[in-house]
Amino acid sequence: MTFMEALAAGFTLVAQWESIAFLALGVTIGVIAGAIPGMSATMAVALTLPFTFALQPIFGILLLLGVYKGGIFGGSIPAILIKTPGTPASSATALDGYPMAEQGRAGEALSMSLYASCIADFISNIALILFAAWLASFALNFGPPEMFTLIVFSLTIIAGVSGDSLVKGIIAATLGLLLATIGLDFIGGTERFTFGSVDMRGGLNFVAVLIGLFALPEIIAYIRNPEAKKHRVRGMGYSRLKWPDFRRSLKSIFRGSAIGVFLGAIPGIGAAPSAFLSYSEARRASPQRENFGKGEVEGVAAAEAGNNGVAGATLIPLLSLGIPGDVITAIIIGAFMVHNLTPGPLLFVNNADIVYALFIGLIASSFLLLIVGAVAIRAFRYIADIPSDLLFPGVLVLCIFGVYAINNSIFDVAVMLVMGVVGYIMLLLRFPAAPFLIAFILGPMLENSFRQALLMSRGNLEIFVRGPITILFWCLTILSVVMIIRATMRAARLKREAARSASRVAAEPKA
Amino acid sequence: MLSRRDEILVGLGVTLLAALTLWWLIPAYVVIPRRVPIKALSPAFWPMVIGWVMLICGLAVVIRAAMAPPPPDAIADDLRVSRPEAMRMGALAVLLIAGFYSLRTVGMVWTSMVLFVALVFLTGSKHRVLGVVAAILLPLALYFFFTKVAGVAIPQGRIVRLP
Repeated sequence: MTFMEALAAGFTLVAQWESIAFLALGVTIGVIAGAIPGMSATMAVALTLPFTFALQPIFGILLLLGVYKGGIFGGSIPAILIKTPGTPASSATALDGYPMAEQGRAGEALSMSLYASCIADFISNIALILFAAWLASFALNFGPPEMFTLIVFSLTIIAGVSGDSLVKGIIAATLGLLLATIGLDFIGGTERFTFGSVDMRGGLNFVAVLIGLFALPEIIAYIRNPEAKKHRVRGMGYSRLKWPDFRRSLKSIFRGSAIGVFLGAIPGIGAAPSAFLSYSEARRASPQRENFGKGEVEGVAAAEAGNNGVAGATLIPLLSLGIPGDVITAIIIGAFMVHNLTPGPLLFVNNADIVYALFIGLIASSFLLLIVGAVAIRAFRYIADIPSDLLFPGVLVLCIFGVYAINNSIFDVAVMLVMGVVGYIMLLLRFPAAPFLIAFILGPMLENSFRQALLMSRGNLEIFVRGPITILFWCLTILSVVMIIRATMRAARLKREAARSASRVAAEPKA
Repeated sequence: MLSRRDEILVGLGVTLLAALTLWWLIPAYVVIPRRVPIKALSPAFWPMVIGWVMLICGLAVVIRAAMAPPPPDAIADDLRVSRPEAMRMGALAVLLIAGFYSLRTVGMVWTSMVLFVALVFLTGSKHRVLGVVAAILLPLALYFFFTKVAGVAIPQGRIVRLP
């Protein structure tokens, strides 16, 4: 299939009213879920996943991508109005968004957030279209040793940047890898860790694991301390975004989008570092830098551009290499797998129509976000009024039905409940959940490529440094480990010094 | 950031888990074929690699926590659970276990309704009436979606069956 044929086939798939309807529905669900304090884009995508199984692949995946895009923007609404970021990446938006809301300029901040999000999202989608196919054609040359080193590199970054300790990230990843070995060995067909259970022979269901890991710990945390979810909503105010303010912020929006695209394309980095880097770069370059942190509209623009700039770019490693860049794309990979689609270089060869339909759908999602976001900003007060004491029991019921519906299996519900407890313990002990889930997904591919490589070399480990690609990935892995360790040590030292100086100030007698 | 004591206990826990995996779980629960031409093709080889990495990381957590300066109390997480918190979490555990075992006998819809109402009351909600209404409507809506639209056979139980 040539490029033009694939594009035409993709357009035919998207040019159905159902495609646009499911995309719009997804964006709406995402914005609402992102805007509800206590919900997150991750949870929204995870809970929507079971509802996509009955749909055609293109409708289901567009629905999930809509939820993803909407959820990332929706998280900025509570960040601005109640200083409770709906997603970790929206924390940077709260730095200037909430002071603006306190000054009665919430409408201005929310409008800027929406426009910056849509522009960055659009740029990110264009980057995806430009780079994914190119990277996929390059990755077609990868053999098992190259795939192994690529996954090791990806897991190292994900383990390093997801939490505050590289070692704990690696432990979380090893737990995920260990869990992925449950079931029948794919070479010999013998049982591993099934404990004699027929249900465990096929391995643990991925959706049950992810919903347990990401939705249940929130419910347990809420039941433990229901008072923690109380919040105060700021009014919208009467100020509106002015054209000169928007125009002077454009530079920061484009810079933030570029940062988002670059960091989003690297597996594991995610939206939060991108939002903060974009914010700090905007502050450094802005003539109004002294206003940053006190209610500067350019700060909101930069943070949101950095945040949304990753949304399309995280799909580059997913679609072209089959490597999920973050937790949400790890969930989206589930939708592909359920519909017998395997993300990776071969997707561009075997299912080019679906790939190009997704590209066109993603471009449409940027425009839909503009419309849905504008309505959501005005309706936020009603969304935020959903009481947590009804929201979380509702989420639990959704989890039970959704997980059961995947395989008509009560055993999957048990897996979800157990994983919920595991996820809550990990939360308490500060083990990041992202490396656990992504290692669980990539585990079979990692083991397969490892064993295939050793089979090719008759057990000789030199195959893992057989060419420039494997050596490049090893070098990148070592470099990232060194950088992560340095960054972790510096952050820990700064934290300790800040705490010590705070306790010294508190201990000093008042004059 | 956890306190030094908690961090050491976490490291020891991970080390213990890795040791159990290496010297009990893998020998007991991984079936190895009689003839394996290359060691790496053994079904136990990859879990062994994971186990050793986990063991090294667990020890690294212990050593780092023991040697690094302890975090000031101001930034160390408090893992203690108060009595009301423990009671609520205990009640949640009982509800989830009972709910799981009643899915087949009572049915998913009725179990979900009871779970919903129980959680609303457990958290001392002020929206009890709304909670009961939502507890009835949400499972019914999900039942009709999954049964009639998605074609999934939701467990009906043996007591009251839905159309």
